[in-house]
Amino acid sequence: MASNLAVAVLNGIVWGLIMALIALGLNLIFGLLHIINMAHGALYMLGAVFSWYVIELTGNYWLALCVAPLAVGLIGLALERGLLRTIEDKPLVTIICTFGIMLVLQQLALTYFGGTARRIALPIPGRFPLFDLQYPVMRIVIAAISAAVMVALWLFLNRTRYGLWMRAVVQDREMAVALGIPVHKVYMWTFVLGSVLAAFSGVLAAPIVSVDFMMGREILIMAFIIVIVGGMGNLWGSVITAVVISLIHGVGSIFVVPSTATVFSLGFMILVLLVRPQGLFGE
Amino acid sequence: MLKMSGICCYYGKGQVLHGTTLEVREGELVGLVGRNGVGKTTTLKAVMGMIPARAGSIAFRGEELAGVPAYRVPRRGISYVPQGRHLFPKLTVKENLEIACVAGEIDPAKLEEIYGYFPRVKERLGQKAGTLSGGEQQMVAIGRALIAKPDLVLLDEPTEGLMPLLVQAIAETVQAINRRGTSILLVEQNLKTLKEICHRIYIMEKGAVVYEGTPSEIEAAMDVQERYLSVKV
Repeated sequence: MASNLAVAVLNGIVWGLIMALIALGLNLIFGLLHIINMAHGALYMLGAVFSWYVIELTGNYWLALCVAPLAVGLIGLALERGLLRTIEDKPLVTIICTFGIMLVLQQLALTYFGGTARRIALPIPGRFPLFDLQYPVMRIVIAAISAAVMVALWLFLNRTRYGLWMRAVVQDREMAVALGIPVHKVYMWTFVLGSVLAAFSGVLAAPIVSVDFMMGREILIMAFIIVIVGGMGNLWGSVITAVVISLIHGVGSIFVVPSTATVFSLGFMILVLLVRPQGLFGE
Repeated sequence: MLKMSGICCYYGKGQVLHGTTLEVREGELVGLVGRNGVGKTTTLKAVMGMIPARAGSIAFRGEELAGVPAYRVPRRGISYVPQGRHLFPKLTVKENLEIACVAGEIDPAKLEEIYGYFPRVKERLGQKAGTLSGGEQQMVAIGRALIAKPDLVLLDEPTEGLMPLLVQAIAETVQAINRRGTSILLVEQNLKTLKEICHRIYIMEKGAVVYEGTPSEIEAAMDVQERYLSVKV
């Protein structure tokens, strides 16, 4: 029991940190651009799919971890400049537009990548003993990388000029323009950053889950739950909520099958929203 | 320095500015006064490019501003202090100042000059702007406009909602800033304040400038005051 619990807690934390990265990207885009990005899960999926191709070609997971998010970032750049910029002040239209983007990306993945799920071998195959079980070292590495990316994001937002601009645009867009901040560029790079975060999580998740063209759909729903429970626009609320919800799910999986354990996460969301409709850390 | 001529602006289909024409010369402190809703704020926003001018021209140092993207206007040397301050409430006072230096770092000498006007700003540097009092916020807002070393500052009702003692202090500071060489276009509801500190005053009515004069000329023109400002003298 103790070893099962330890594994469940570790899995919850590892998965929670990956989910936190996805939710951060989603929340960042929502906070700045006020776009509810339905294509976020598809960008996560693309990250995983691209990484599979890179690994097929080079056999190098770490190269894929660098290349795939950048490639998806370029797609994000094209989407923002080509589609979203023209409709960025119309929330309903952007939902429909990003939903369409999601369908297109999924179908493209189905056409070229195929409908069967594929696995990526663990780049670090070792395991370490955890009570009477063995736990994969790679999962701990994945969690550490996620945490490191979050620290880097925090430093970026709080210690750089561009980060300062982003925080200002969230609070008062009109004044930011009046002070000379190129808000349209801030929007563009925020969307790119959000896309890169989604894809990066996809590559991190790829060795744990299998890679398939529909993998972004369930993730998108979970990411929305996290953002709403954590508080829309509150980045660090998303991180805490992601870990808590994943822990609830992980520990719940000891008692019921994992798909049923989702009920616990959803129950948690309902409870939180009944008591605090603005989310745990929302204002 | 700043020459607006025949500016027409619209909110949707409603026309707000009907050929506004005014000028701020080098080193001048110019007042803009008028009743609520006559287009004073819109005039300032038109200069900043925040509301597009559909007709007319806005020349700053001989270069046309109409059509320049709003975020490029501050780089030409114009700063804006909006009505209601509009600080970034969750940023610290220091960050609120830093952010106005879009093109570079804060100039320590300019910062000292701002501390000279408003010693309170120095005391509050690490505090979140949203926690300051109205008067302190106004000081930071003016400081934020000055830190970018502008040649012209547009000030929109800086004394609105402040207690009388502070109104006087802010008015004197605005005058002091102007005396150190920064040109200022000051929008106010209170003609008395303007008459004390301005070189020239424009009166606006229904989206256009209807009167221009020095404080003493306005003082003499009682009919103008009564007609456009309903001030009992």
